[in-house]
Amino acid sequence: MGLDEQKPGEEKVPIYNEKLADGNLILTQANKILTVAQARSLWYLLFGTACCAIELMATGASRYDFDRLGMIFRATPRQSDLMIIAGTITYKMAPVVKRLYDQMAEPRYVLAMGGCAIGGGPFYYDSYAVLRGVDKIIPVDVYVPGCPPRPESLLHGCLEVGKKIKQQKMTDWRKR
Amino acid sequence: MAEDYLKTEEMVVNMGPNHPSTHGVARLILHLDGEVIHEIEPVIGYLHRAIEKVVENRTYAQCIPMMDRFEYVTAMMADWSFALAAERLSDIEIPERAEYLRVIMGELNRMASHLLCVGVTALDLGALTPFLYTFREREDILDLFEMTCGQRLTYNYIWVGGVAKDIPPEFTPKCREFLDKIDAKVDDYERVLTKNPIWLARNKDVGMIPEKMVYDYGVTGPSARASGINFDVRRNDPYSIYDRFDFKVPVYHGCDCYDRYMMRIQEIRQSARIVRQALENLPEGPVRAKVSRTFKPKEGEVYSRIESARGEMGVHLISDGSPKPFRVRLRGSSYSHLCAIPEICRGLKIADLVAIFASLDIILPEIDR
Amino acid sequence: MTKQELTSYIQEKFSGEIQVIENDQKEPYLIIQPKDLHRFCRFIYDDTRLLLTFLMNMSGVDTKERFEVVYNVCSYRYKLRLYFKILIPYDKAEFDTIRDIWPVADWFEREIWELFGVNVNGHPNLKRFLLPDDWDQGYPMRKDWQGRDVITLPER
Repeated sequence: MGLDEQKPGEEKVPIYNEKLADGNLILTQANKILTVAQARSLWYLLFGTACCAIELMATGASRYDFDRLGMIFRATPRQSDLMIIAGTITYKMAPVVKRLYDQMAEPRYVLAMGGCAIGGGPFYYDSYAVLRGVDKIIPVDVYVPGCPPRPESLLHGCLEVGKKIKQQKMTDWRKR
Repeated sequence: MAEDYLKTEEMVVNMGPNHPSTHGVARLILHLDGEVIHEIEPVIGYLHRAIEKVVENRTYAQCIPMMDRFEYVTAMMADWSFALAAERLSDIEIPERAEYLRVIMGELNRMASHLLCVGVTALDLGALTPFLYTFREREDILDLFEMTCGQRLTYNYIWVGGVAKDIPPEFTPKCREFLDKIDAKVDDYERVLTKNPIWLARNKDVGMIPEKMVYDYGVTGPSARASGINFDVRRNDPYSIYDRFDFKVPVYHGCDCYDRYMMRIQEIRQSARIVRQALENLPEGPVRAKVSRTFKPKEGEVYSRIESARGEMGVHLISDGSPKPFRVRLRGSSYSHLCAIPEICRGLKIADLVAIFASLDIILPEIDR
Repeated sequence: MTKQELTSYIQEKFSGEIQVIENDQKEPYLIIQPKDLHRFCRFIYDDTRLLLTFLMNMSGVDTKERFEVVYNVCSYRYKLRLYFKILIPYDKAEFDTIRDIWPVADWFEREIWELFGVNVNGHPNLKRFLLPDDWDQGYPMRKDWQGRDVITLPER
């Protein structure tokens, strides 16, 4: 039972190593634990409007499984921390998206899936009712291109969100 | 009864655009008395992307990917209906091999759509297992499509004058392998659902569509055939080479959600029959007629229709002889079905509304375009 | 009934002006007068040798000289189809509703009203349908409509 002495020039944060009867217990930065835990269990809001929603469902189904990454879908924004915007957002739907984003509890992340959510997609030209890119109304963390993107792309995008979370400090959210 | 001594008030509840059971972004304003529905007011337009205005500024070859986005669950059939409309206004001869390939792709797409519908219907009613089973088979079909045209959902494969490219040599053995196992898999789904007492209790005698309502609202496809109206565009008004195949069109007379589910299961089996016959008789030859890149049909108007997985899908095309269409009007069968929902659900409960919505196989882009 | 028989049967049984468009499609294409619309629809619905009871489609069209509303009906029992339309001039843009014969025409007509600006006589519920609630830019599907923030595909 003891405190390992901090060697000069090395770790700034003390690492405590307690020896118990059965084995060792190592504690580390609280930040690291919380961010790793959050990145490995992102619950996403089921929000699919158009074609990309079918690929989202297929990614959550048998072959490419979301559940093995700890991601399950929630129907309500209050219980989710990732919003996957899958599909075209029209001017009529935009206030609804903003309201859902506001209802999510912090820390919250947004993934724009597919060409339509990134920048209007095939409806960029000549359409009078399509919002050209969802980042005009809410801040987006990761963009996954494709029309629709393959399930592997979407899984890669979700892992990128995880990487982004692991780089954050939990105190950032309290300052906002 | 509770109504005798309890004074109740009508409550207006919003089943909003973001809801897990409204397949897409449909908003239903429900006027309820407790749990019983008095009135439903559908509010649509949350996915109105103005496809009909966009295609007025695209050439015919550029319109085909737009049709994929119009009905993305059966994108091959959406392409097919548009290509059929454009071909009816011109004198293109479609090669035989292209016709057979169109039928194969169309029927595989119908199977994929029905598998998705059965899975999502079960998911809405709380059963997660059939959803995972059906999506596993659907992935096999999507593998076949990816082998042919490189895409899983929006294919851009059936072009005006034929199909885009020929199938690779490994398509036929893989397709036969899939067809050999699909019957056993459909038996698996039936073993989970068909005689399940919970499934029966939630679906039997729920959402009755009597014959008069079918005519009033223009209900077509499996929903009409489950009410005893034997209306199938492949038999009533044959297009392409459907008169060469031997398949049954199942008809049930129960008019309820359970029969609509049984219709889809039987249609999966019949589609497998058609694909098997088409693979056996596939002739050699070119797969596309010689069509210029700026294809100009004759001046005129046409309304062409096919039997898609949901019902009759129609394309009303008006052309003025230029390389861009003058007016395209897309008719999807979910439009008429959603119009019928307030009438079907009068007096039922919200849980029944979820079952009916799922069994009518409504997808929103057909309504909003 | 073939296309020719169907055309002549309708022409002799229905008292009203009917023009026939000649083409080589499978079903007859007719033009009806707007004032005969309701009576014609009632006739084809009830007639025992036609029984055209399915209303499949109603489309609005803006040819650059006038509006047109195109109807597609179908008969389940006799495997018949019919395509007919009415011509509406720009200055008197209105037509009658047929929602008492087919309730689904309610939505078709509402959409034509909203996107083209053609008035529908007798329709109780002409409200916003597909466009956003605060839409103030006119009737988008007309050929002479310019949008405020519409980006046009450049010609190659």
